[in-house]
Amino acid sequence: MKLTLKVWRQESGAEDGHFEEYPLEGVGPEFSLLEALDKLNDDLVARGEDPVAFDSDCREGICGACGVTVDGRPHGPQEKTPSCRQHLRSFEDGATVQLEPFRSGAFPVVKDLAVDRSALDRVIEAGGFVSTSVGTAPDADAIPVTHESAEWALDLAACIGCGACVAACPNGSAQLFAGSKTMHLATLPSSQKERSRRAKGITRAAEEEFGPCSVYGECAEVCPAGIPITAIAGLNREKLRQVLRNKDD
Amino acid sequence: MTPSTTGSAQALLEELRTVGSDLPGLDTQVPASQIWADRRLHYRLVSPLNRRKFTVIVVGTGLAGAGAAAALGELGYNVESFTFHDAPRRAHSVAAQGGINAARARTVDNDSVARFVKDTVKGGDFRGREADAWRLAEESVRVIDHMNAIGAPFAREYGGQLATRSFGGVQVSRTYYTRGQTGQQLQVAAAQALLRQVSTGQVNLHTRTEMLDLIVADGRAQGIVVRDLVTGKISAVTGDAVVLATGGYGNVYYRSTLAKNSNVTAAFRAHRRGALFANPCFIQFHPTALPVSSEWQSKTTLMSESLRNDGRIWVPVQPGDDRAPNDIPEDERDYYLERRYPAFGNLTPRDVASRAARTEIDAGRGVGPLKNSVYLDFRDAIERLGKKVIAERYGNLFEMYSDATGEDPYKEPMRIAPGAHFAMGGLWSDYDMMTSVPGLFVGGEAGWGYHGANRLGANSLLSACVDGWFTLPYSVPNYLAPLLGKRKLSVDDDAVRAAVAEAEAGVQALINIGGTQGPERFHRRLGDLLYAKCGVTRSAEGLVEGLEGIRALREEFWTDLRVQGRPDGFNQELERAGRVADYLDMAELMCLDALDRDESCGAHFRDEHQTEGGEAQRDDAHWLFASAWERTASDDAAAPGPRYVRHQEHLEFPSVPPETRDYR
Amino acid sequence: MTATLQRRQQTASPPRRRLPISNFAAKTTMALTGLIFVGFVFVHMYGNLHIYRGQEEFDHYAHWLRELLMPLVPYEGVLWILRAVLVTSLVLHVGGGLLLWTRARRARGPFRRSGLTRGEAWMARSMLGTGIVILLFVVFHVLDLTLGAQPAATDTFEAGSAYANLVASFQRPLVSGFYILTMLVLTVHVAHGTWTAANDLGATGRRLRQVAAWVAGLVAIAVCVGNVTIPLVVLLGVIQ
Repeated sequence: MKLTLKVWRQESGAEDGHFEEYPLEGVGPEFSLLEALDKLNDDLVARGEDPVAFDSDCREGICGACGVTVDGRPHGPQEKTPSCRQHLRSFEDGATVQLEPFRSGAFPVVKDLAVDRSALDRVIEAGGFVSTSVGTAPDADAIPVTHESAEWALDLAACIGCGACVAACPNGSAQLFAGSKTMHLATLPSSQKERSRRAKGITRAAEEEFGPCSVYGECAEVCPAGIPITAIAGLNREKLRQVLRNKDD
Repeated sequence: MTPSTTGSAQALLEELRTVGSDLPGLDTQVPASQIWADRRLHYRLVSPLNRRKFTVIVVGTGLAGAGAAAALGELGYNVESFTFHDAPRRAHSVAAQGGINAARARTVDNDSVARFVKDTVKGGDFRGREADAWRLAEESVRVIDHMNAIGAPFAREYGGQLATRSFGGVQVSRTYYTRGQTGQQLQVAAAQALLRQVSTGQVNLHTRTEMLDLIVADGRAQGIVVRDLVTGKISAVTGDAVVLATGGYGNVYYRSTLAKNSNVTAAFRAHRRGALFANPCFIQFHPTALPVSSEWQSKTTLMSESLRNDGRIWVPVQPGDDRAPNDIPEDERDYYLERRYPAFGNLTPRDVASRAARTEIDAGRGVGPLKNSVYLDFRDAIERLGKKVIAERYGNLFEMYSDATGEDPYKEPMRIAPGAHFAMGGLWSDYDMMTSVPGLFVGGEAGWGYHGANRLGANSLLSACVDGWFTLPYSVPNYLAPLLGKRKLSVDDDAVRAAVAEAEAGVQALINIGGTQGPERFHRRLGDLLYAKCGVTRSAEGLVEGLEGIRALREEFWTDLRVQGRPDGFNQELERAGRVADYLDMAELMCLDALDRDESCGAHFRDEHQTEGGEAQRDDAHWLFASAWERTASDDAAAPGPRYVRHQEHLEFPSVPPETRDYR
Repeated sequence: MTATLQRRQQTASPPRRRLPISNFAAKTTMALTGLIFVGFVFVHMYGNLHIYRGQEEFDHYAHWLRELLMPLVPYEGVLWILRAVLVTSLVLHVGGGLLLWTRARRARGPFRRSGLTRGEAWMARSMLGTGIVILLFVVFHVLDLTLGAQPAATDTFEAGSAYANLVASFQRPLVSGFYILTMLVLTVHVAHGTWTAANDLGATGRRLRQVAAWVAGLVAIAVCVGNVTIPLVVLLGVIQ
């Protein structure tokens, strides 16, 4: 099949960006979106032009490195699927496909389609961890965890940290990301002792780095890990709990 | 057994390698099960107030790297942590699916630390270090406790206790898991622990920063040269010790189950600086990877081993049978694993299953458009259990498969093929995880030792965790203690300046070639060559061709490489070029090791060494050692290029006497 | 290939700053004040329905509101307390909304999200617009039926004759149209607002969320249907 890729080109964060159109031939419906970019880059390098920069790593949808905006939609047309698992069979033969970086004020462009998502880690740094030093943990069977809690915690912990939720949000909010981490740790008994401190830290950092949530629900629509929209309420619940409780746990 | 490497193969071997000295083994009188306790007792300590006087450099933020960095930070050392990713969580540990083994032995299925050791050593076909396996087993208990405490939501029984499942190669249930995403959950928990130390200032994290060289001064590893991938700036960071936790080199095969950016550069450049490389030819091929079905397919995605519980593997009896799979009648199908290994059937260990598939494909019975795969058929299981049960068990995997291939595995059999997966080989280290360069430590898949010639499922997450959290935090201080009072190497030191200048020249050299082909094209060709010549099965003849092919490709690379773009900015072509340059050298070392190791063991299968039944034939009389390779240069001006010295660490198995593996 | 669009992408994230009023405080305030308004419009709608019981009953209801809790509080005391609460809530709600709206725009950066097709997202995006329409309507509504200020009110306005004032007002098709439009807009605002409030106040339980979603929808529709019938029956001449 044949496609026209309309790709955002931007040399660096300090320079202006623009779209360029590239005809792409010799691809097929079995190509993943990123393999199509691989092919384009091979063509470009063979012609002596700079290839398109984009982040990608595991190509299995678990590392969260990849992420491009396809025709205005983070990751691509297939819902809840990361860019690396989007396939060309979603597009008509001869279609023009527009590829941009993830868009958010908190994600400055590094080059072309690659962005800087370190703001997400700054949210984790503000409290998305358990303060148990290695070697000091009690026996993992000492505190039983219900099957249900473990499964629910895992639903929330499935986040791959790709940042699509932020890019999908018209407000540039990271509520789903921050909420999934806060709720994941609030659900498990081993991480209860700093529950309120965590809620406070994560909320503060998320507000400093990102926009506010107004429940568009777009985040959960594009989330490749299927994080439930409940997570956005979870962050508010934990923060409210902290305010009312005014303690560390 | 007679050596099979004769004629041209022997000549090439003689040209490339010399046999060096034996490495000191673990010199101890202590029983194997008590070595770790004994070592810890004799390790030197650094008192809490002195720890902040030391800086440890940790490269890589996977389970081993993040664990070591966080643990050393928690102890009070200054840590400089490096990853080429944009975030520590993306390290490839994240992609492990099945689980993590631990010898907690809580149920009454008769598991124990000793049984864990036995399974691991036997699974590795007696080519690993038994004492390391003991440490792995002992510390596995605390690993689960710790990872649980820092946020990994392990699967639980309805009674609230940890759930386990069983994995290939063992007969007990010791694998702890979080659905099919155990690696992700452990990795995210470890990255969080690392970020906790970053928030306290104890760890200084450098993302999008790639290690280009190791700085060795006064005979000790005292720093690294790094390139900031965003600005292109090359600089040095010095410290009192360096830990490499940079993963395996499976991507040398281009298409593998690894992430696209996983590479050997950090480990290989340490190897160039003198670190010995152990057993480079030991590469595990995963039997249930997706086959290559188009030229542009970027990898051979892993499909969980668990599929073999209900799927039946077969090929058509007639070579070149072009009928659709469902049109091939029962008596014209060969369920070759069930036929050859009636006891284990479709659940033979990975190396055996991969090899059997390769045999069928090579005999012309491969299926699919490129005739490079075998069928994994769920028809009978669906008939027996119903589509609903199969969907419950494997729904997400089936979805992933049809996602990738566009085929419906409920209606027609899956196609699978062996894909390069895990590197059992790695930088050689002693029992304390220190390489042959003093002060340079290694952890996780970048190292060697635990897994011998074949790794058991769910042991890789464990070895990374044990190294990072429960080995390096003991052994690195042992090295640091006598250095108290010595000043950290200045970044203005001559050795540092020289290393930086060399790295800068190296980058410039790649750019200066000014040829016509991008690095990816060389990488693809290298991968194809290696799959053919140093793949699931190897032969002396093929390895010679492989070595010749690699050397020709390397020459072409250094004359016709094109690195598009500028060196002073974000340039992924430049990153790739540097990595492919190292792969070309790594591939040579792998083929050399495979040619040199004149026996079959575990995942290393030499056609010349098989039993009448076609099984791997080990040669303990001659090869009961780990090869640790040293890189030198040719002193013959007429035949320039790298030369190698093979050192030996003889292996002892006091607790698990070597035996022949038999899965029939 | 052709270069098409030139647009500046900001190079660095906005400088991090401790926010003087946290988003959490602003959102919680909006949620609580919003819920006060939801209660208000629901009760107001219930009061409006008295019109179907005739002029006397309706005027009596209006009068009763003024005498509520007498003599514990003075005449119109409760009404003024309610008015004070409503005005304060209005200021906080509008203020919070504008604050969050500006922060959201800044956080998103220069490239707006396009291609929103889902109903929920469309409702969320409409909140500012629907809020402005409702605000304008409230101003008009107070001028028309509370203060009787011209030209919003009819020239027959007479304080105390709630029924007559209302009927006269709705007999102007333009006013009825504006009212009906506002009620439709209000439905959207109340439905999404109530759902958002449930999220902002931390409703994570599965059943609680289901209840909140149903309540949000049903209250919004009830308010709309109950209120919209009134101008319709006036225009149709059923009530005169």
